[in-house]
Amino acid sequence: MTLVADEELMVQVRNGEVEMLGVLFDRYQTPLYNFYTKMTQDRAVSEDLVQDVFLRILRYRQTYRPGTAFRTWMYQIARNARLDHVRKVKPEAPLTAEPMAPAPSSDSAQQKQEALLLQRALMQLPEDKREILILSRYQELKYEEIARLMSCEVGAVKVRVHRALQQLREMYQQLERGASTKQTDRLLGGNFPSSRTWQ
Amino acid sequence: MNCEQSTELMADYLVGALVPEQMLVVEEHLRGCGACAADLATWKKMAVLPMESPSAESRERFEAMLHAYPSSATATSEAMVVARQPGIVLTNPNVEVKRGFDWSAATRWLRSPMGAVAWSVAVLVMGVLIGAGVSGRRSNDSSGPPAQELAEVHAELNSMRQLVALSMLQQQSASERLQGVTFTNHEEQLDPQVYAALLHTLRYDTSVDVRLAALDALSRHAGQPQVRKSVVDSLQTQQSPMVQVAMIDLLTEWRDPDAAQRLRNFQQSPNLNPTVRQRAQWAVSKLQ
Repeated sequence: MTLVADEELMVQVRNGEVEMLGVLFDRYQTPLYNFYTKMTQDRAVSEDLVQDVFLRILRYRQTYRPGTAFRTWMYQIARNARLDHVRKVKPEAPLTAEPMAPAPSSDSAQQKQEALLLQRALMQLPEDKREILILSRYQELKYEEIARLMSCEVGAVKVRVHRALQQLREMYQQLERGASTKQTDRLLGGNFPSSRTWQ
Repeated sequence: MNCEQSTELMADYLVGALVPEQMLVVEEHLRGCGACAADLATWKKMAVLPMESPSAESRERFEAMLHAYPSSATATSEAMVVARQPGIVLTNPNVEVKRGFDWSAATRWLRSPMGAVAWSVAVLVMGVLIGAGVSGRRSNDSSGPPAQELAEVHAELNSMRQLVALSMLQQQSASERLQGVTFTNHEEQLDPQVYAALLHTLRYDTSVDVRLAALDALSRHAGQPQVRKSVVDSLQTQQSPMVQVAMIDLLTEWRDPDAAQRLRNFQQSPNLNPTVRQRAQWAVSKLQ
């Protein structure tokens, strides 16, 4: 009993059995959705982008080369879909999006604050750094896969991951300092933060 | 070892890709370097961001997209059963592939925009030839025009238009999809595939303009109960208040017997746009 490999399914889709794409959709809609929510901080846009990826896979199925890794090919399409989306909406979109309202969870208040700060810190990173961190940390892509995606050497990917992480840490620490100052202000009866509280 | 030298090793350390000796080297560096230790702490902290699930509609949208895609008819029924079950384990992964001449490949080409152009040219040439034949024959003898041939050309022209409309509804640019929707307006009888594509456009098209045009196109076929039913059904899922108001107006105009009850339920749904709610109340009072 083995799971049919992604590559085998994609070859079937390529040969006209497009219904097999449903299996790939079930495997990858959640990872792709999370890739997009972390990149864009927008759930509705993320769902649209996931649909767009699978429409593109269907439309360009003939360009899939049998024997190559499906996941890398799919993320290539996913990155292009996002870039096209950014190009389309850029004029009216703000430079940095507000973090999404967190999904209901049983996490403690401290965990929620950490998640919020981390989201903000991620959004403050330049796009390429945010992307490489999300791909390696959350999408769990191997450095070799990222290297193929970005057409660079594996060594360069490792350096970029570490540099991006350094910058994320700096951003996070800055925000953390800002947050604790605001909290102190509030305790001392200072300016009450507006709708965006830090709790 | 300094930070510069350890940076690649550190990246491997993060994802657990080091052999024990290399791990010791990195850990030794981490003990002496606060910055790198903080980087590692941040990497671990990244786990607080939860993995979220897409909404249930995501799968439905995918199904609709796959269904509306022109070549979806090619899959074997076995393959369809497998595709419906998420993460299925197959004992025999070799799902049978259809042999013989692939008709779908031929029709797929005809449905592409290039194929549609070729079609239209072919039909035009045929029309001219037949037209010339008809007028020629009419001058020779006094019998009426060959009605059957004309009807055939007419049917041919219809199916060609529907193919063009279908391929245009799949385009990336909203203006082309808009053209595709308006293209369907010439049809007296909607092909089920075009109907499904219009319905999909009404529900999921990213552009409000295209959705409104799809609604307008569907409203021309309000004589069919299934059209009216599908408009009522998609009222709830519609995102744009503008489209919702247009839908309510149409339902009022049609005086559909089921609509009053559905609208009454609809106006009580939470998070409704106030204008839409008001419109729905007005429609319910009109329909009573």
